[in-house]
Amino acid sequence: MYLYDNFDQTITQQRIGEFRDQVQRRLKGELTEEQFRPLRLMNGLYLQLHAYMLRVAVPYGTLSVVQLHKLADIATKYDRGYAHFTTRQNIQYNWIKLEQMPDLLAELGSVEMHGNQTSGNCIRNVTADQFSGVAGDEIDDPRVASEVIRQWSTFHPEFAWLPRKFKIAVTGAAHDRAAIQFHDIGLQIVRNEASEVGYRVFVGGGMGRTPVIATEVRAFLPKDELLSYLEAILRVYNRYGRRDNMYKARIKILVRELGAEEFIRQVEEEWQASDRALVNLPPAEEDRVRKFFADPPYEKIAVPVAAFEDARKNDKAFARWVATNVHTHKVPGYGAVTISLKPPGGIPGDATDKQMHAVADLAEKYSFSEVRVTHVQNLVLPYVKLADLHAVWQALGKIGFADANIGLVSDIIACPGLDYCALANARSIPIAQQISERFADLDRQHDIGPLQIKISGCINACGHHHAGHIGILGVDKAGVEFYQITLGGAADENAAIGTLIGAGFSGDDILGAVEKVIDTYLELRQSGETFIDAYRRVGAAPFKEKLYGRR
Amino acid sequence: MAPPKPISKILTANRLTNGETLFYAASGTWSAFVTEAKIVTTQEGVDELTKIGADAYAANQVIDVNVIDATADGDIKPKDIREIIRATGPTVRLDLNKSMSPAGK
Amino acid sequence: MAVVDRNGPIADSWKRLADDAPVPQGGSVIVSLARLKSDDNALFAAAKNVGVEFAGDVNLEEVLAYLPRLSLIVARLTTMRDGRPFSIGRLLRERHGYKGDLRAAGPFIPDQVLFLLRVGFTTFEVDEGFSIDALKRAVAAFTAWYQRSATPATPTVIELRHPGNK
Repeated sequence: MYLYDNFDQTITQQRIGEFRDQVQRRLKGELTEEQFRPLRLMNGLYLQLHAYMLRVAVPYGTLSVVQLHKLADIATKYDRGYAHFTTRQNIQYNWIKLEQMPDLLAELGSVEMHGNQTSGNCIRNVTADQFSGVAGDEIDDPRVASEVIRQWSTFHPEFAWLPRKFKIAVTGAAHDRAAIQFHDIGLQIVRNEASEVGYRVFVGGGMGRTPVIATEVRAFLPKDELLSYLEAILRVYNRYGRRDNMYKARIKILVRELGAEEFIRQVEEEWQASDRALVNLPPAEEDRVRKFFADPPYEKIAVPVAAFEDARKNDKAFARWVATNVHTHKVPGYGAVTISLKPPGGIPGDATDKQMHAVADLAEKYSFSEVRVTHVQNLVLPYVKLADLHAVWQALGKIGFADANIGLVSDIIACPGLDYCALANARSIPIAQQISERFADLDRQHDIGPLQIKISGCINACGHHHAGHIGILGVDKAGVEFYQITLGGAADENAAIGTLIGAGFSGDDILGAVEKVIDTYLELRQSGETFIDAYRRVGAAPFKEKLYGRR
Repeated sequence: MAPPKPISKILTANRLTNGETLFYAASGTWSAFVTEAKIVTTQEGVDELTKIGADAYAANQVIDVNVIDATADGDIKPKDIREIIRATGPTVRLDLNKSMSPAGK
Repeated sequence: MAVVDRNGPIADSWKRLADDAPVPQGGSVIVSLARLKSDDNALFAAAKNVGVEFAGDVNLEEVLAYLPRLSLIVARLTTMRDGRPFSIGRLLRERHGYKGDLRAAGPFIPDQVLFLLRVGFTTFEVDEGFSIDALKRAVAAFTAWYQRSATPATPTVIELRHPGNK
């Protein structure tokens, strides 16, 4: 993975010094809250219901063992012994004190981490496919572009005060595991007819109160032109994006108001007029960055691996976990393990300090000391030998992270909701807990098959409900929590926005409603048909009828 | 015309230095416990709390200042679920909750 | 009101001229873009120095013809979070070759000045509460950056990593 050089380290240290100064001035009253708020947000610090919340950037979801140990230590020392992995591959602490922030950031800085640009109206931490570099279906490793974007977007002087937040995601494969079409900019690494590598560029996707699937603005952007093209998009947005209404300030609204064709024309015009050579990355720098993402020293392993095959044959529970939680690896004899942070009744994405230390220890022993964070709020050990899988599975079982449910009904995305979040209208986590408990039986989950449930506690949609096969949106109805159901959303290359199917359900009734939706699917599915395939075939009508009766 | 709604409000904010949820108390200080909150039942009382909150904000003691609805059947308690959660803690981590009163109720 | 550069307060003799006020002979005047467009010959004939002021919604095309004769451009941030002048700064410096004084006005804070400098601003109109002490620390907060600065042309981290690769 990428390692800081002296320049990266200098910039990170100087940022810590800058924020230490800003915190002191705030505590002395030299900065007002109005002035300080955007500064603390750009360092990842929010005020939530109970305390400050710190969001730490995990660039494109990649963590070293040293970093994960440090994150665990920070949970112990500065928080209450746990933290929360988010849908943007970051990690959040819920009980942070402003006065301790400078020291906390200094500790993060000692392991090349920070909270920079994890909030605020700036370019946020870039996200990528969690299987970067190990997936067999990849054209190029998206971590290279992601690191280049990380550096380019860090303290970019022109784009620190955008109309609204700005999120970029990169995938290197045709199968989209990074939800790129729901980002302000989505980049898909592709090859053109001449077999050159470049980007298919999407702009203006997003969730929130106005869910939009991104527009393709360029079918092929040559690889070396990436940064100048990003600057052109950002400049058009920075100059012309709406600043009069925060709900209309995202780039998706600019694209919609200008029309895709006119937006593309303006971007291309800006791009053509710019001095691209000054902005584009020199090939020597790309080569330097790329070296950090070279393959780890894999062993040459003959497959099939007998010990692994035997374990799979003899241990049904292990076999089931392999089927859902181990992703095919590009190197024979290896697998990429997804660690489920979704135990029945658990809080999706939460991990204690002890669990984080344990995962770090496993990564050190079995996965070249590297861990990934997924946008579905799970962790990944990207390089595990098939022969070690059984031991890894058993070790995960000891910390409650061995559930064989990746991609299934209990692998739920849920935002922190009203239990923590100042913006929320309703609780999300208890709904996820109810569902994962009701469907805890793995036989039942595996029978239901691939199904993504995503829960947001308000219209801002941090829980990605628009992109859930079953989406649940918490709303406030005269002081009472209610939950609306959407069906048919999808976050992959067949991105779709779910359809609201009818009136909401109370907190007591939502679980039964979700179960009815799933039962309806089980009744009408054809052989081998997944939930989303069945929904696409039959539409919302049968589900509506089951939930609300005939009209 | 409907009769005017009865007023029953308290002042809440978060402490600048550590973000802790606070309630303006009858004793004239800020308390972590909602049961100690000063409850007002008149518009004059609301105006007074609003001013106390604005002054404390201007003095950089607290942020996110709000006058919220409360009930006082027995102990003082926020009316809305959001504020009840703010006063106690996440409902999904009862082990980390604080009680509404210093007596531990 | 005071005017500062990266080092602190500087002398300033610019005067804002209302759209209907007569042009003083030999003065240094800041006018609106509307006044500049309607009155440019008289302005440049009478005033010693002419500056123009606009906000982030400006159509830069309307300014370009005057650039060689302007000695000051004031770009106003309407709020602290108004990022448009940051793009305008780079465009004026990098694309349109503007060489005069580029001044930021509005409710920005010392902590924003370093980025304003990096996108080409040179002076800053500030109110009484603006801390010069904080300004001096803020402009020195960073000594390395990944992106080019419009002015001065300090090397980027990328250039420093590859010194032979120009």
